[in-house]
Amino acid sequence: MEAEKVREGGFEIGLGLEVVFPTPGQIMQRRMLAHKGFLIGGVVFILVVLMALFAAQISPHDPYRQDLAQRMIPPIWQAEGTWNHPLGTDSLGRDYLSRLFYGCRISLLIGFTCMLIALVIGTVLGLTAGYFGGKVDLAVSFLITVRLALPAVLVAIAVVALIGGSMKVVIIVLGCLIWDRFAVVLRSSTQQIRSMDYVSAAKAAGCSVPWIMIREIMPNLLNNLVVVATLEIGRAILLEAALSFLGMGVMPPTPSWGLMISEGKEFMLFDPYLITIPGVALFILVLGMNLLGDGLRDVTAPEGRT
Amino acid sequence: MLTYAFKRIALAVLVAVTVSMVSFMLIRMSGDPAIALAGENASPKEVEFVRQQYGFDRPLVIQYLEWAQRTLKGDLGESPYFKQPVRDIIKTRIGVTMTLGLAALCFAVVLSIPLGVLAAVRPNTWLDRLALSISVMGQAMPSFWFGLIMIIVFGVMLRWLPISGSETPAHFVMPTIALGYYAAPAFMRLTRSGMLEVLASDHIRTARAKGLRWGRILFKHALRNAIIPVVSLAAVQLGFMLGGSIVIESVFALHGIGYLAWVSIGRSDLPVVQAIVLLLSLIYVLLTFLSDLLNAFLDPRIRVK
Amino acid sequence: MKGRFNGFIILSLVIAVSLALLAPPALAGKKDDTLYVAFEKELENVDRYFNTAREGIVFARHVYDNLLWRDPQTMEYKGLLAKSWTWVDDLTLDLEIREGVTFHNGAKLTADDVVYTLNWVIDPANKVLVRSYVDWMKNVEKMGDYKVRVHLVKPFPAAMEYFSGANPIYPKDYYAEVGPKGFGLKPIGTGPYKCVELDPGKKYVLVKNENYFADSPKGQPSIGKIVWRTIPEVNTKVAELMTGGLDWIWLVPKDQAQKLAQAPNLTVVAAETMRIAFLMMDAANRTEETLGIKNPFKELKVRQAVNYAINREAISKNLVGGQSRVVDSACFPTQFGCTSDVMKYEYNPEKAKKLLAEAGYPDGFEVDLQGYRDRPYAEAMVGDLRAVGIKANLVMMQYSALREKTSAGKVQLNFQTWGSYSINDVSAIDSYFFLFDPMDMTRDPQVRDWINEGDSSIDPEVRKAAYAKALKRIAEQAYWVPMFTYVSNYCFSKDLNFVPNLDEVPRFYLAKWN
Repeated sequence: MEAEKVREGGFEIGLGLEVVFPTPGQIMQRRMLAHKGFLIGGVVFILVVLMALFAAQISPHDPYRQDLAQRMIPPIWQAEGTWNHPLGTDSLGRDYLSRLFYGCRISLLIGFTCMLIALVIGTVLGLTAGYFGGKVDLAVSFLITVRLALPAVLVAIAVVALIGGSMKVVIIVLGCLIWDRFAVVLRSSTQQIRSMDYVSAAKAAGCSVPWIMIREIMPNLLNNLVVVATLEIGRAILLEAALSFLGMGVMPPTPSWGLMISEGKEFMLFDPYLITIPGVALFILVLGMNLLGDGLRDVTAPEGRT
Repeated sequence: MLTYAFKRIALAVLVAVTVSMVSFMLIRMSGDPAIALAGENASPKEVEFVRQQYGFDRPLVIQYLEWAQRTLKGDLGESPYFKQPVRDIIKTRIGVTMTLGLAALCFAVVLSIPLGVLAAVRPNTWLDRLALSISVMGQAMPSFWFGLIMIIVFGVMLRWLPISGSETPAHFVMPTIALGYYAAPAFMRLTRSGMLEVLASDHIRTARAKGLRWGRILFKHALRNAIIPVVSLAAVQLGFMLGGSIVIESVFALHGIGYLAWVSIGRSDLPVVQAIVLLLSLIYVLLTFLSDLLNAFLDPRIRVK
Repeated sequence: MKGRFNGFIILSLVIAVSLALLAPPALAGKKDDTLYVAFEKELENVDRYFNTAREGIVFARHVYDNLLWRDPQTMEYKGLLAKSWTWVDDLTLDLEIREGVTFHNGAKLTADDVVYTLNWVIDPANKVLVRSYVDWMKNVEKMGDYKVRVHLVKPFPAAMEYFSGANPIYPKDYYAEVGPKGFGLKPIGTGPYKCVELDPGKKYVLVKNENYFADSPKGQPSIGKIVWRTIPEVNTKVAELMTGGLDWIWLVPKDQAQKLAQAPNLTVVAAETMRIAFLMMDAANRTEETLGIKNPFKELKVRQAVNYAINREAISKNLVGGQSRVVDSACFPTQFGCTSDVMKYEYNPEKAKKLLAEAGYPDGFEVDLQGYRDRPYAEAMVGDLRAVGIKANLVMMQYSALREKTSAGKVQLNFQTWGSYSINDVSAIDSYFFLFDPMDMTRDPQVRDWINEGDSSIDPEVRKAAYAKALKRIAEQAYWVPMFTYVSNYCFSKDLNFVPNLDEVPRFYLAKWN
């Protein structure tokens, strides 16, 4: 609908006057600015990145400094809150606001890198499986099934027992564990697209296989890919929370939203702010990512293209 | 068709063998079963004794082959902790996990597909945004949080539902919602994006032009196509729920095989872990097989290789 | 389509409401004389000789009886299934078995049952899990219908302790018939409670044994029925307690326990346990070889610095709370042989930094702090160490994995705890950590010799002196950082009269309704 409008805006009127067609770049810009979801998502994303980059400057306290005499102070909106610690302190007396800012870095880093690793692995596997079918498909299905049948917990415990826990380990372990959704979704989408006309046309024209995969099939997978990618970022961060809770994730006292969430579980009944604050932060981040992903897809490949 | 079935069975066997070998290695890497069995206060002599008595000191390959041999005969072994046959232990716990998994999947599907369709039919409206927010909540909330919130609201404050255990159907209401809700976002998003694409496609426009009823178009034509990646995902999700429901089982004290697997991994209870892993891998293979069949049924294009 | 959707919503609501109506009402414990308790860990096997967790001990004390019994308040030994006992010599113990005791299945207790049970568990072929319970005995001889003679392998001062804490007597005919497998599904003992329903790991139902023998020092059970459930999640346990689904829970974290104490229908007791927390350091200097890294802990000053750096008082008061106290020695204060007349290290981060500089680490150093439980306490220690310049990386793992690493000499800083299995004797702790066994990170031959002296002598004065020498040296060499005692928080209904014990074994057979 929006595309038509723009096209409408560029036509020739009589009397020798010419209206210039907007360039593709200008079209994109206009679409972006008009798409509310994209804007909100973009703003959230930028804010979060800024928080992460400038955590040191905006934090009122050292996120690692513990003071057992000041533990469990509630946030400012509760009776015993104080402006010295606007979001309160945790069970070791560390300032929660500062930990939230610093935690941004860790969680973003983990969320993105895990998702990227998983994306690469899963896309390669899913694409090749869906396109070639036959033996390749069997091999990939085999890999996917083996991966899914192995409890992730088992892999994590074993790896940590061998190597010890650290952020690098977490990212690698998670990245190697969450590619399954990418692979499965892309495999079935590729299967669908493979038999489309334009693919057969490209084949008939003698295009090489990689060319077909990248130029013809991938763009049409981007929709589903983006959907899954935005989901996986949130999933990666939550998995990190679970691993941290089991003692296998980021090591304390490093602040990470995942670790803050799992450590807050113990206090959920009576001091819910410990979990709610990083939980809400995570919710906003994931919502932003989703809006951004949806927006990106709407803006770059609007409905109508098959 | 026969070769296809044969290929799938060969795949299943290969998966089972690979998975059992990998998990065997991983369990041994994650801790010494003799120390775990002998307990915290055991002296080194005692640990050594346990090690010999239970055969943990033999070469790994031998231990694995012995396990494999026994399993092929149908004997899943005995857990040194329960001192009962593994088969019996699993039998008493798998019912709960199966019930929970299936119920959660149904809940997720029933919740998310209509939402996804609605969102696709009215894109970029408040309805779409609402559906999106609901789905985001499902992704961004740790499942233990949602479970515990429900316990607090429905169990403690309102006293509508029982909190833990698995005695009555009412005991399954909150766990089902907690587990299913967690899986719903993926379905919803995929349904929505799939429907959006299909609805804009040529043959749907043709159908509308022909004057077919909207409802018929939606269900007979659009949904059939949009649903395909969802079906694959559903198979994967069910498998995940069966094997990964440990958080929900733990929070609601449901004592299914998810929780059993977690505890057994923690103390290197080889026979139990191996049995559960084997069982789950066979179920996964079955599920993916079924989902491929379903996909082929829904989309004839896939059948033609 | 819209209509279909609405109809669907209504249907789901109807289903939800009907399911809710099926929910059983929460039972109040006192009203039907049933005590609902919950434990966090599963007890997979109720056979005392095949489980090692605390839950196993609790079950055993209720359903079985041992030969002797230790008074939880006075720590005195009294006869339980044995009426009296005599030491014939260092290696021979005669026991007179009480008459008139019956098992839950009606069989009468005689010397045959004692002889059968003990000889069976002594036999290594039966794969009893904890050999130390039984391998100090050579065999047991029947001397008469109610008299047995136990032959020891070596002089064993803790024999009384093990007969009262560890070796329940099973019915001979029944056990011979069903073996451990059948026994694990249907246990029979002589104890104050009978097990009438059993779902391994999930649920146990115990009912009062009306025929419990009158002379038992355990007393007569009062509460009619106990329903024991396993609930792994602490918040769920608390929620059940608040709504009346449970009457008794334990192991509640300090902050929650404090809040629960404000509830009008609940009682909270923060009772001390025999478990102590301590840090072990690589004084034996094994990691330089095994890991090829620098080992600061071979320097006495570094070890002392760590002792000065940890604010034990703050952790004990603020994180553990209740009756927790700081410990200065490598033992629990009431244990026989324990003394706190040793070198003490008060909290002094400045002194710690000075000592580190003197030892050649003016800027501190980096190290892995390994632990297996109580992460919040470990985090507090990490924070304290950080404040004096020691960058500790917290590495948590399963107990068995950490133990393997310690045995292999691959750990430099180790956060450990020890409950001494509630045995009130220094041999129950230091013999595991200073005799050059795998958990010994110190390897000091002098300490080893003194502890061996204490372990093998029968004369209490000799033992005390030897242990005192060892403990003094351990403190002045700062081999350990002994920190604090653990507290267990018990939360239960006001209707229940329950008293916790130091050995962390809840005794419901002593509890009654208010």
